[in-house]
Amino acid sequence: MLREGAMSVDYLAPADMAAALEMRGAGGTVLAGGTDLFPQHVGRPMTQPVIDIGGVQELRDIVDTPDAYRFGALARWADVADTDLPSCFDGLRAAAREVGSVQVQNSGTIGGNLCNASPAADGIPPLLSLDASVELTSTVGTRVLRLDEFLTGYRATALRPDELLTAVLVPRGPDGARSSFRKLGLRGYLVISVVMVAAVVAASSDGRITDVRLAVGACSPVAQRLPSLEAELVDRRIDDFDAAVIARHLGALTPIDDVRATAAYRFEAASVLVHRALQACGSER
Amino acid sequence: MTNVSVTVNGQSREADVEPRTLLVYFLRETLGLTGTNVGCDTSTCGSCTVLVDGESVKSCTMLAAQADGRDVTTIEAMAHGDTMHPIQDAFHRNHGLQCGYCTPGMVMAAASYLQENPTPTEEDVREALEGNLCRCTGYQNIVKSILDAAGSMSGAPETTRA
Repeated sequence: MLREGAMSVDYLAPADMAAALEMRGAGGTVLAGGTDLFPQHVGRPMTQPVIDIGGVQELRDIVDTPDAYRFGALARWADVADTDLPSCFDGLRAAAREVGSVQVQNSGTIGGNLCNASPAADGIPPLLSLDASVELTSTVGTRVLRLDEFLTGYRATALRPDELLTAVLVPRGPDGARSSFRKLGLRGYLVISVVMVAAVVAASSDGRITDVRLAVGACSPVAQRLPSLEAELVDRRIDDFDAAVIARHLGALTPIDDVRATAAYRFEAASVLVHRALQACGSER
Repeated sequence: MTNVSVTVNGQSREADVEPRTLLVYFLRETLGLTGTNVGCDTSTCGSCTVLVDGESVKSCTMLAAQADGRDVTTIEAMAHGDTMHPIQDAFHRNHGLQCGYCTPGMVMAAASYLQENPTPTEEDVREALEGNLCRCTGYQNIVKSILDAAGSMSGAPETTRA
């Protein structure tokens, strides 16, 4: 079992998008970076053909288009970390450097992270805070869903069995917005998050918040935004507000007790990390 | 069976493999390059680290078929005959290994990182090794070895580098 690896099925390697969509339409599991797929199938053989989309070059690029930044689904975390992007992407790039380890960042992709839909996926809170959407393509056509519509539950998404996630689209944010990412794990590196928080903040010249978006991961089946806290923070000074207000707006979180932390600890940590993420957006101005 | 053609340590190698064959087993069993170890099989421990197109990856998290047409470098390519690579030499001199199981992966991760940053700080090295676990917890001397290697390599001619 160990020596034979994960699969006992067909391996398909489409050379371009058209071939990839045909194969996906016929049914199969998509292999992108493989950093989640292989570990999940040690001792649990796969039953469907494996479609390795790694050869589809047009899915690799990160492009600045007039409407949005377009991250090809196969953009690797190393690519995200190394690409020159505006400051509102600082949180996403910081998260990219926290995904697994260097080796995992050299293989794992942004599209794979979203399709795997782990509650503790490092890429999800920053992308939620950036109001990202996903582009889903099949032989029949293309549709775009908001990321929060795409993620439907614990390891569940709205991706149809005939579709490929082909790109992550991030609309242009407020000019000069700052962003940050804070992850708490049980050690510094190579760790699954206990709690993580992503923040995007725009402020006026006198330091008042004009636009703020906060997302918390690993505290519910799907990472989520904190709309009531965001509303409460607008017009406050980023460097001077009562941090006690944060805890009053975490009611939508449903953290669990598990081997990494208790639910109560996660609530406490979420509150602290939200404060730190906001402070980081202020101090990094 | 799937035909794969991979450049391994500068040599073109071709074989028919079962599609499910992971790169690490292709290296170890098809090609007999047993220097690359398998530790966890779940993309965690880093002992199977090799370079694919010059970048470090975990070869237990990649199919041999995915390496088709690409360039793979393993620990076997590091020494030239009896002359150890400066990173291997530094591990030897600084007692950078205990049981030795993680060492090939450590050396390959270090080789990849020193290409990127030839003059790292201690903190840089520790961060670069985040994906490589040493069960003997010999990290002090591993980090010392890599810093030592960085020093000796920064004066070395290009051809002796990874």
